[in-house]
Amino acid sequence: MSAAWQFYIATLIVFGFVYIIAAAGLNLQFGLTGVYNFAFIIFEAAGAYCTAVLSLGSPRAFGGFQSYILGLHLPFPLPLLASAMVAGALGVGLGALTVRRLRADYLAIVMLVISLIATGLVTDYQGVFNGAAGLSLIPQPFASLTSSSIVYDWLFVLVAGVICALVLLAARLMIESPLGRSLRAVRENENAAAALGKNVTALRLLVFGVGGAMAGISGSLLASFTQAWSPSSWFYTETFVLFTALIVGGAGSNLGPVVGAVLVPVVLAEGSRYLPQFGPPTLVPSLEWIAIGVILLAFLWFWPRGIVPEPKRTFPAEPVPRPLVPQRTRGVLVRDLEGERGPGR
Amino acid sequence: MQSLALYTGFGLVTASILCLGAVSFTLQFGISNLFNLAFGATMTAAAFVAYVCNAAGLNIWVSLVLGSLSASLLSFLLNRGIYTPFRRRATGMFTMIMVTLGVGIIIQYAIEAIWGADNRSYNMVTGRSVHVADMLFTTTQLTVIAIAAVAAAGVHVLLHYSRLGKAMRAVAVNERLARNCGIPVKAVVDSTWLLSGALCGLAGVVLVMDVQVLNSGSGDSFLILIVAATVLGGIGSAYGAMVGSLIIGVVAELAAGYINPQFKDISTFIILAAVLLLRPTGVISSIASAKEMAR
Repeated sequence: MSAAWQFYIATLIVFGFVYIIAAAGLNLQFGLTGVYNFAFIIFEAAGAYCTAVLSLGSPRAFGGFQSYILGLHLPFPLPLLASAMVAGALGVGLGALTVRRLRADYLAIVMLVISLIATGLVTDYQGVFNGAAGLSLIPQPFASLTSSSIVYDWLFVLVAGVICALVLLAARLMIESPLGRSLRAVRENENAAAALGKNVTALRLLVFGVGGAMAGISGSLLASFTQAWSPSSWFYTETFVLFTALIVGGAGSNLGPVVGAVLVPVVLAEGSRYLPQFGPPTLVPSLEWIAIGVILLAFLWFWPRGIVPEPKRTFPAEPVPRPLVPQRTRGVLVRDLEGERGPGR
Repeated sequence: MQSLALYTGFGLVTASILCLGAVSFTLQFGISNLFNLAFGATMTAAAFVAYVCNAAGLNIWVSLVLGSLSASLLSFLLNRGIYTPFRRRATGMFTMIMVTLGVGIIIQYAIEAIWGADNRSYNMVTGRSVHVADMLFTTTQLTVIAIAAVAAAGVHVLLHYSRLGKAMRAVAVNERLARNCGIPVKAVVDSTWLLSGALCGLAGVVLVMDVQVLNSGSGDSFLILIVAATVLGGIGSAYGAMVGSLIIGVVAELAAGYINPQFKDISTFIILAAVLLLRPTGVISSIASAKEMAR
């Protein structure tokens, strides 16, 4: 394979892993718990920004052409972990402000507005986020290991793959565990879950945090791979793409996010690269978006459960119905009760 | 003090456009229990219809009417063809958000596929400048304010003094009860979408007449302010939408003028955050409370 092809395929695979990690995080919120976090992409953006400022070093090192806060230069796994923590904390914080007070679907609108305004704020704040230009020249995390850029790209594929596998494992553990059962109960009927003693708010905040951390990891990987961060790439429509991916793949299932992330953002968005160029330059991207919209509507109408539907969880019934209180026992019980009342009556 | 009046004047223009959009958005929410996120794209579509009419040599005010009618028809068709079938399947409200978002993206990018992403503008004269008590308007802006005022008054009269308006309020609060009382819910819903679509189209065209830039994202970028005004006023309430528009419009322009143009968005954000923390159902909360939006 030529170097260009290798580079292209490696990039595609890394993007795939990034999208899968994000979709897995959103699946915990939307598919598993029914938290409609329409600001999901800003957690990814926060993770990416965190990685950028923790690995760029001092702003003065580049002649001060871009401005940002902190400006540390930490070795590889630290920015990634910090990104996960920052994005997770942001998720819990934003969730704490909204989740207790708002009905689930109203929350979706509020989060959407928050996402839009966050993009606006970041674009306007020159000092902290370097405005619309964003940040560039983010150092490659393990560039020192190899001098060949092709080898580096494949190394990155490997690292991203391992991280993706770990995230999917964590998501799977969460979905299959008793905790996952509680989260599904919150999704299906929050009043019933509360009546069974589940702390609905705490559970929602938990997935805000865990899902946010996964978004942070995904954003961190993307920022260190593309070496750039710009507010325009974190517009709310990206959240829409992730939701579409989950609906197509199957929300709530283990494999749904993987299938959806590969089909919608990767195949659909990258597939158009092989279409012959026709019409004005905006035509093909526009048609791509129209296709995503049409696919979403078609899936919602015809296959609302997605390609890999969430399995119906069933539990074996008790084989033989026992009588509630055996006759003999009842007699004992009554006698005991009478005994308790004491002889003096 | 002169600049205060000046910025308030700008704010009134923004508030007028917002008012048309927010009242329409909130009526659609009330009647169909749905956040129509295709709203911005419908505004853009109306603005482009007006652009085509205008480019074909029609007067801008005639184009405004045609654009508004097209948005009315488009909203009606969207509701009949897509939203109502989904709703009839007892689709959850979140899925409806995805549906409207998908429809909005299809419309927006269909516009972009046809007309490209370039900026356009109407062929019109903005009119001479007029001073009104230290405020400075163009005659076009004054007309925009007048249109919004007439529309707001019209919605008030409709909701309070006509059978249709009363039926609309009844359906918004409790659709099943309204149906059991003999209100023809389907006809009421259809007329609400026709009416609100017309307002939505008006908002789209006058927005472009005011800012004088039209591209495929025009309406969508304005939708943030509309949602903010609607949520602030109390979603579902037409009067809330008017109050919310006035507050958001004036505060945004004052912040832009006195502090920094960037504070236009930031001030909106601060207002919205405060509302969500203190009173998530908004200023006038009757419908939002009836629908149990927040607790």
